[in-house]
Amino acid sequence: MELEQFYGINYKGTKRFTQWDVPTANATGFGAAADDYMERGIDLNEQLIRNKPATFFMRVSGDAMTGAGIFSGDVVIVDRSVKAASGKVVIASLNGELLIRRLEKTFNKIRLIPETPRLSPIDVDVSGAEFSIWGVVTYVIHSL
Amino acid sequence: MKAIVDCNSFYCSCERLFRPDLREKPVVVLSNNDGENFAGASSLAPARSQPSLRSVVSRSDEAQRLGVGMAAPYFQARPIIEKHNITVFSSNYHLYGDLSWRVMQTLRTLMGDNDKVEVYSVDEAFLDLDECSPARLQQLAKEIKTTVETWTGISVSVGVAPTKTLAKMANRIAKKDKQASGCITVLATEPAIDAALRQTRVDGLWGVGRAYAAKLINWGITSAWELSNMSEEWAHTNMGGVVGVRLIRELKGQPAIEMEDELVQKKMIATTRMFGRPVTAVDDLKEAVATYISRAAEKLRRQQSAAGIVSVFIVPKEQDHMTGFRHGPNISSHASLPRPTSLTHELIKPAVELVEQLYENGRAYKKAGVMLSGIVPNSSIQGNLFVPHAENQNRFLMNTIDNINFAMRDDSVKFGSAGLTKDWKMRQELRFGRQSTRWEELAAVK
Repeated sequence: MELEQFYGINYKGTKRFTQWDVPTANATGFGAAADDYMERGIDLNEQLIRNKPATFFMRVSGDAMTGAGIFSGDVVIVDRSVKAASGKVVIASLNGELLIRRLEKTFNKIRLIPETPRLSPIDVDVSGAEFSIWGVVTYVIHSL
Repeated sequence: MKAIVDCNSFYCSCERLFRPDLREKPVVVLSNNDGENFAGASSLAPARSQPSLRSVVSRSDEAQRLGVGMAAPYFQARPIIEKHNITVFSSNYHLYGDLSWRVMQTLRTLMGDNDKVEVYSVDEAFLDLDECSPARLQQLAKEIKTTVETWTGISVSVGVAPTKTLAKMANRIAKKDKQASGCITVLATEPAIDAALRQTRVDGLWGVGRAYAAKLINWGITSAWELSNMSEEWAHTNMGGVVGVRLIRELKGQPAIEMEDELVQKKMIATTRMFGRPVTAVDDLKEAVATYISRAAEKLRRQQSAAGIVSVFIVPKEQDHMTGFRHGPNISSHASLPRPTSLTHELIKPAVELVEQLYENGRAYKKAGVMLSGIVPNSSIQGNLFVPHAENQNRFLMNTIDNINFAMRDDSVKFGSAGLTKDWKMRQELRFGRQSTRWEELAAVK
């Protein structure tokens, strides 16, 4: 895809974003000797956020995706820059509501599939309904 | 070639991002209080003041079409707002600030070089496209627009032209008829620039203020095209010297205003708020001023500079005011410091003394503000041999406080003089809408 080519070369990922980018967050404390051996430690952002300006968090309210391991009250990480391919879990905007569903795209049809027997799939009438993909869910944060 | 990327109805777009039900619906955003207009300070105040003092700071295209004027006072826009059931938001600077950062960061990623992006305001940035071949400009503009919209959800308009002034003009044309332009106008050829200049009035030009526009029109120069045909000598004598010459050059397509450093340091930093209710006690007033100083000093340290002058002003409540618009006289005073500083306690002390001077017993005050000026970069004082050692300790203390407040938010650590109760503080309503910065306020998905 053109677009991906366009930012592909220059895209440096979020690993380049450290606390040093925030001038007020430059905590100091260790002596100079220890500083030489300091490692930054594990940063969840590195693992969970691929593209910081395009990444948003949302809270799930409802049981639509329990079959996929996403429960009510969980936080989902949503990346708007990921292409919404068929089979991805997405945040869809449908008739003014934000829904979390699995996207199913065929050559002539778009469906939003819940992962619970309680709800039925939604056939999206692309011409009639207000519909768009808000973003693609990349991770879920679930408290045990 | 330069481009300007300008967010469409930025505040409204931000509010709509998590509210798909408002897509293509009329929306307006109101200012929180009149303090926002003071000395160009962007107040991060979450609270609200009397509705009569608030005004429209952003309106969606739909609201504009219904007749809501820009910067209209709320009372004036209210009949239209109520008649058409327009959704009204209070400014939510946490959300706008975060989305602004996202838009700018997307542009930096696209450009691959931070120096090629100049953040001009919260919702505008200039891009340096000198390395792009002219044939590709239209496509590039489209890619920039699509990527920003996909990544951040904020729609933008792009104007491209040989100079900043012409790019601004191109952007204006793009916004005028979004349907026709697709929010993109590229002025890359002589005839295109010519036509654009002819359809732009002088009062719509970047860098031409109202006073100059009136003067120009008075002289019979009404279109940008006519102005672009004036000589540099003429501009030098009639349009304020160098500034005028630069404008003429820019209009002729010769870059005269270059890309600027992104971190332009503010020349002054102001913090000012309305009180929730009138304040009569001098101690309350001091607490308020100390709090504002803390906030301003934090901003000062963030831009790594120090201030040499502290100003304080307080506004008494008018005894018998007829409308909600009358302000009492603005009482202010300032103090010069022995040497520039960014230490909160060194700034609070003179500020509190100023309050004591200004305060009159028995009067009620409705507003107070502080301003730090005489700002110099930290580096110019840091190397001073004569600064006592304690200075460094203090800087360390400030860093620690800033770090804690940055991590914990809501001023977890503060100076005692800033008070613990804040009786004077604006009534804070239960707040939502910081969906992109706060765990507690994330948008819900079903």
